[in-house]
Amino acid sequence: MTAPKSSGQKGGNRPWGTSLAELSIPSEPGNERWAMEQVAEAVRGLDLPPGRLEKLKTAVAEATMNAMEHGNNYRPEVPVKIQVWLLKECLLVRIVDRGGEPLPSSDLESPDLEAKLEGRQTPRGWGMFLIKNMVDEIRVSGNPDHHTVELVLRLKGGNDAS
Amino acid sequence: MPAKHLEASVRHVAGAAVIDLDGEINSFGEETLNAAYSEAEAKDPEVILLNFEGVDYINSTGIALIVSLLGRARASQRRLSAYGLSDHYVEIFNITRLSDFMGIYPDEKSAVQKATVS
Repeated sequence: MTAPKSSGQKGGNRPWGTSLAELSIPSEPGNERWAMEQVAEAVRGLDLPPGRLEKLKTAVAEATMNAMEHGNNYRPEVPVKIQVWLLKECLLVRIVDRGGEPLPSSDLESPDLEAKLEGRQTPRGWGMFLIKNMVDEIRVSGNPDHHTVELVLRLKGGNDAS
Repeated sequence: MPAKHLEASVRHVAGAAVIDLDGEINSFGEETLNAAYSEAEAKDPEVILLNFEGVDYINSTGIALIVSLLGRARASQRRLSAYGLSDHYVEIFNITRLSDFMGIYPDEKSAVQKATVS
């Protein structure tokens, strides 16, 4: 496994917010776990409720896994870039890959569990569904060179304050 | 952070087989999980219990693996239940509707009790 790394640019201020972390993750299976723990460490000072933090971690892990698998085809030398921003009223995690496959859709229908249990659908296909249920907003954009997924967690008045 | 690959062992209690899971449930755990399930069903128990007390990470691929086990259980008219999930993963089992098809219990005692009276 290639070692992931932080860029050391934490704490930078911009008019729109404060950078809490920048990460570069080699696209290898399992590295999403490291990414989610690094993001959790970056937001530790925000004292998110434990339930919100766990949801953020799951969303970051799933989005990173999608980026490594579908965006970068699990090529270790092609990193997934992650930025964590503290904005005025929300936390923004931006995950960027190199766009190997068509843009992931955030408008997919919910998985049909009964169809999966009966073998009419593959058991897989939970990633984007989980992400949508873990954060307050997801934005997907991109071009032939890259995809960007932005995860938004409102710091007050989110879907679940637990 | 080093990955903690899944380990699984099978034991039998009153009326049920228990699969004790330890580690992460992700793509690396597929072979281990399926082998443990095959071992558990070899004695034809009515109920198979998945013990998640030693599991601290389940990703979407892990959810898919559990869906596959649930499909196997349903195909052989066997019940599959779970216990020891953290609050976060109980919520994920609710969101994915896995909890509509498998019993979710806080601990082994309540899971076995329910398994043996149903």
